[in-house]
Amino acid sequence: MPSHVKLSLKSVLLATTAVAASCAVLPARAADEVTQERLLGSEKEAGNWLHHHKNYSATRFSSLKEINKENVKNLKVAWTMHLGGVEGGGIWTHGGLEGTPIVENGMIYVTDGWGSVYKIDARGGKGVLLWKMDPKTDHDWAGAVACCGVDNRGVALWGDLVISHTLDGRLIATNKETGQVAWQRQVADPDKGEVITAAPLIVKNTAITGVAGAEYGIRGWIAATDLTSQKEVWRTYTIPGKGEPGSETWKDDNNAAAAGGGSTWVTGSYDPATDTIIWGVGNPGPDWDNQYRPGDNLYTDSSLGLDASTGKIKWHYQHTPNDPYDYDSVAENVLVDIPAPNGQVRKLALEADRNGFAYAIDRTNGKFIWALPFVNKVTWTKGLDPESGRPVEYDSKNPVQRYNASVTPHRENKVADICPGNMGGKNWPPTAYNPDLKLWYIPVIESCNRITVEESTKDKLKPREFWTGGGPSQPFKITGSVTAIDVTSGKIAGKLETPFPNLGGMLATPDLVFTGQPSGEVMALDAKSLQKLWEFNTGGGVNAPPMTFSVDGKQYVAILVGLGGAWDKWFIDSTPELKRIQPGSMLYVFAL
Amino acid sequence: MWNSRVITPALALVTVLASASLVIAQPASSPDATDAGKAVYKRANCFGCHKWHGNGGGGYGGDALSLRKTELTRDQIVETIACGRPGTGMPYFARGSYDTSKCYEMSRQDVASQIPPEGGTFLRAPDIEAVADYVLVHIKGKGDPNHDECVAFFGSTSRVCDIHKVQPASSSSSPPSAGTAK
Repeated sequence: MPSHVKLSLKSVLLATTAVAASCAVLPARAADEVTQERLLGSEKEAGNWLHHHKNYSATRFSSLKEINKENVKNLKVAWTMHLGGVEGGGIWTHGGLEGTPIVENGMIYVTDGWGSVYKIDARGGKGVLLWKMDPKTDHDWAGAVACCGVDNRGVALWGDLVISHTLDGRLIATNKETGQVAWQRQVADPDKGEVITAAPLIVKNTAITGVAGAEYGIRGWIAATDLTSQKEVWRTYTIPGKGEPGSETWKDDNNAAAAGGGSTWVTGSYDPATDTIIWGVGNPGPDWDNQYRPGDNLYTDSSLGLDASTGKIKWHYQHTPNDPYDYDSVAENVLVDIPAPNGQVRKLALEADRNGFAYAIDRTNGKFIWALPFVNKVTWTKGLDPESGRPVEYDSKNPVQRYNASVTPHRENKVADICPGNMGGKNWPPTAYNPDLKLWYIPVIESCNRITVEESTKDKLKPREFWTGGGPSQPFKITGSVTAIDVTSGKIAGKLETPFPNLGGMLATPDLVFTGQPSGEVMALDAKSLQKLWEFNTGGGVNAPPMTFSVDGKQYVAILVGLGGAWDKWFIDSTPELKRIQPGSMLYVFAL
Repeated sequence: MWNSRVITPALALVTVLASASLVIAQPASSPDATDAGKAVYKRANCFGCHKWHGNGGGGYGGDALSLRKTELTRDQIVETIACGRPGTGMPYFARGSYDTSKCYEMSRQDVASQIPPEGGTFLRAPDIEAVADYVLVHIKGKGDPNHDECVAFFGSTSRVCDIHKVQPASSSSSPPSAGTAK
């Protein structure tokens, strides 16, 4: 072929690319630009759902009330949409859906387990897929070190960009209008066993990323990426480096801290009044051999208050020091203001911990206020100290905690049954809080399971291999509940028992709460009595939280359906009926 | 059926020719008699617990035994795949185990609550033998997993094997495993 033909072909191709590029950078309409002001004032946009947890306080409360307890019995499917991402990879046979849809001005943004982002036009009473951004996640690289499923919990919005994560560790900015990737950056490293499942939190032009991998010997962190410069602003390790405050709580000779876990795989919350990000930290590793890592193991199993500008740790509150149970504290902290007896306002952070206790701490300083068990059965401790919130058996002089020793797994008690089981009383599925009723709704796993301890030795620590010091098995049937807590009194206000564990999470509206079951049902409950008022069987497994939005003046409830995650691989023997639930990937949207 | 018999020799010839040309082009890709077994290892999700390298290991699913360190014979491996291991998470993969055919001389009634879980897919006898042969040739008795083995399992389109690449001697305090860089 003559060279001038090649040249002209090249110039034609280049010209086409240039046109496409200029289309790609056309700014979105100004009204759709997401700014810090809009994120701070997200409650003013009642029909939108701009944050993963609805607002910076993580209440997952919507003031929309067209659908209410009088008419919810008439709720029916408005439309559905099949999504993708069911394929497997690594150790996983299939993906699942755990995401919360984000809605802005009638446009829905959802993800599938492999991190593809879908933009759906929900105007006019139907759903139209506008684009799909497939990040081409490296399935085997990520899937081989994802402890708990092929999961992605959703996107965030900033400027004219959709911000998302992938399981293989990337932060991706996608043009909201075109679906073209604007830029991406590798934040986590699957070569170290790090993957990302949480949705990003956007604070002041930065995207906050949490990491998963405490079962693979990572050293956890929370990182902030500047969304303009695309550079990392800060990265705060959840396990202190040598000589840093807290490092004295790792008393071993194994350098256990370097592989000590402390993952951060659930999106946190943000208190603008003090410019503080509040984020939960996961379990220490190896999970079940706490003798390998004597000491309290800060900041594992803690809630952290971080300076949003610098990432500096302002305060911490640890729930289960030297944890031998896999009782993560990754759960979201819900920020709630409650009148105090002295006429002042208590600024609380609420967290429903895997260890079975719901905690209220002072979010300005991390001080304990109250806690109570929210599950039917807790065996690992006789209770918490009412002053400190520490388990009563905790002994600061003993570097290896045994708590209620007869039921605690350890090297001399290698097979132990614990309640809650290691998935916890509440796992990642989010709670919701009704600020009018001051009721906090917890999606509960009512469980016990069996832990078998395997002594950890340094030579067993290998990159990309499980680092758990044992494993769970499921000799007991596991059920669930929705448990409501009156935040003014710190007491249980109601409990609706469910046949299966709650693996989806909660949505609150003025007089209703919505949730789902892994057996397929989506349901609406009376916000006060928890009486079931409506139910629809999706025919799949609900493994994601419901949300609500309005468009064209009409209210909708949306939920992703597709059972994946940890349960149907590792915990299914406790719920044998769920073995019949098929993998799937579907968005359901309901309306009156 | 007669038709397929007629074309079989022709197909075989094509296969031989194709293999021969592959051998010339790329010696590393020579056909492996255990490829069928590797396919079963993937299809039946053996690697979901035992991992691609067969070392298994603890984790959320409990402890899948190491097939690298196993001392089971071919017959015992075949039996374990067909029948699972009672009282553990190792499923049985042969249709009719404990029902139409006894396992470890036990019926479903005998094994009672210790019955292992049913595999996600049922394998026929030739499949079970093929995957047992794959384990014997590529996994049993091997040392630490290496890059070549990883690429042989996953191919080279993923970064999954990168950590097994042999590091330059100066940057590694411990000697590399058996893998050789190519």
